[in-house]
Amino acid sequence: MKRARGGDGEEAPRQNATAGQRKSDQSDGDNSGCDLGQADMQDEDDNPGIRREIRSKYRELIQSVQQNREDMLSPSNNKLTEVLEEANKLFKDVRQSREAALDAQLLVVTSDLGKEKASQLAAEGAAFDPPAFTEHLLSYMGLNRLNDGEDEQPIGEAIGYLPPDAWHKVAQRAESCFRAAPSFHYMMGSFHAEPPPPKQRMERQRKAPGKEVKRIMPTQLKKMGGSHQEATEKEVERILGYLKTYYQDDPTSPISYYEFVIDPKSFSRTVENIFHTSFLIRDGLARIYLDNYKLPSIAPVEEGEVEAGGSSIRKQCIVSISPKQWKELIEGYDIRVTMIDPSNMQPE
Amino acid sequence: MTQRKRTSNTQSSSQSKRTSGPAATQEEDDDQTFTQPSTTQVQRGLEKLTPAQVDQKTAEVVQFFLVKDQKKIPVRRADLVKHVVKEYRNIYPEIMKRAARIFDQVFGLKMIEIDAKNHMYILINKLETVEGASPITNPTNPKMGLLFVILSVIFMKGGVVGENLIWKTLKNLKVDVGEKHEEFGDVKKVVTDEFVRQRYLEYTRIPHTEPIEHEFHWGQRAEVEVSKSKILAFMGEVRIRE
Repeated sequence: MKRARGGDGEEAPRQNATAGQRKSDQSDGDNSGCDLGQADMQDEDDNPGIRREIRSKYRELIQSVQQNREDMLSPSNNKLTEVLEEANKLFKDVRQSREAALDAQLLVVTSDLGKEKASQLAAEGAAFDPPAFTEHLLSYMGLNRLNDGEDEQPIGEAIGYLPPDAWHKVAQRAESCFRAAPSFHYMMGSFHAEPPPPKQRMERQRKAPGKEVKRIMPTQLKKMGGSHQEATEKEVERILGYLKTYYQDDPTSPISYYEFVIDPKSFSRTVENIFHTSFLIRDGLARIYLDNYKLPSIAPVEEGEVEAGGSSIRKQCIVSISPKQWKELIEGYDIRVTMIDPSNMQPE
Repeated sequence: MTQRKRTSNTQSSSQSKRTSGPAATQEEDDDQTFTQPSTTQVQRGLEKLTPAQVDQKTAEVVQFFLVKDQKKIPVRRADLVKHVVKEYRNIYPEIMKRAARIFDQVFGLKMIEIDAKNHMYILINKLETVEGASPITNPTNPKMGLLFVILSVIFMKGGVVGENLIWKTLKNLKVDVGEKHEEFGDVKKVVTDEFVRQRYLEYTRIPHTEPIEHEFHWGQRAEVEVSKSKILAFMGEVRIRE
């Protein structure tokens, strides 16, 4: 039996392999690779249908490796090993160079995958988990973990939204890891020397007249202020002088207040006299008292009698006079001549 | 760049990007026939020129570099020779030596040849960045944050990572490759085109994959510019916050 089979395979290298494999097939009784019985052995080599079948199976394997690359790389399964085992079984029946070429191609693809899988295993020890890293980075960027409720977030993505400056924050910190040359840019714009000088000249011209104007002002003001104050004070003093004169002339005869202040020729002058007289009384330089007829009289206060304002009881009253009253008083007292001469000082 | 050399070898007159025939041949000349002048040639060349001329040319090279560096794209030797050095190519090594010294002493930058085969140069900072050293805070480029994430993942995964893991990681950070991101726009373009052109990343095809898949490595610029220990430090900071 063996010899008969040995005679079938004409290619020397194949002989031992196929003989060995067929032996195991025979002993097993059921073939996983090919469903042929002993009788069909001789047809195997030449049957084009079988050849095509083998080739298509190889192509299937190659495609499955390429399509399911991620799946095969996963360390959780042995799919790559299974593919290799399949290929092994198929190889038993390979006779012609076309199938051998496909087998070689499958070997290239699987060995590439094997290399990647091996490199994956090597890296496993480092325990770097990209999803965990991204989670931490999202927190660093300031992810707002609010659930909108309206938009459905796809599974696997973090819920929430990033602030607008998230990537700027990362970039700012990351830039210090780079020894990048700062980029060179031309400065924008240029300087023009023309406009500034004319402006300066104009400003200087305006400043000069301004100073002169200021100088004029203070002198005018002083005159104005002085005249008002002096007028009042002078007037008050003058009236005091008149009062004293009249009193000295006749110390016993009381001076009627009304006779003193009223100017029959001018109502306004009368009011001024009342105003000035009130200063005398306020300062304690004159006093008003009611005489026997209950009419007010005015008399100057003796030098010695002048007291500090605090001890005496303060009395206040408001004196008012209307033109009608003024006329009545003139008639009643029969005042013809004013006791206080109107001064020539008039406010300018 | 090697591919472009091959096409210029076979087709001398038809170049897809060149406008005129003579210019195309000149480009080839710059690229292929530019051989480093020997020291004696350089000496002879220097004798014929005034120091002012050499300084002027050096300054032009420095300016060229500085402007090109704005986009962080490496400077090709061929471009440099064609556009700046021009007729001074016989003293090219001397000019480059002086330019490197100017960068070093005036700007504090290092001019590095990151690709010895294709002769590409970049500028990096000689000094380490110190926190709070400059009172001026330049506006941050958020793409640097994105780059940092990708570089750290590649680094932690042993130096090479399949693109799917990167896209998945970015998706967890709400950066979807398939959609337009409000900060970065076309994310895939930024990562696979811009970062690669800047030489921060390498995006290579994994052989025998159907459909085509790619993997990421650290780029040549990242290798010289980025401090791995600082990346680790930042990653540690991120974790401590929890």
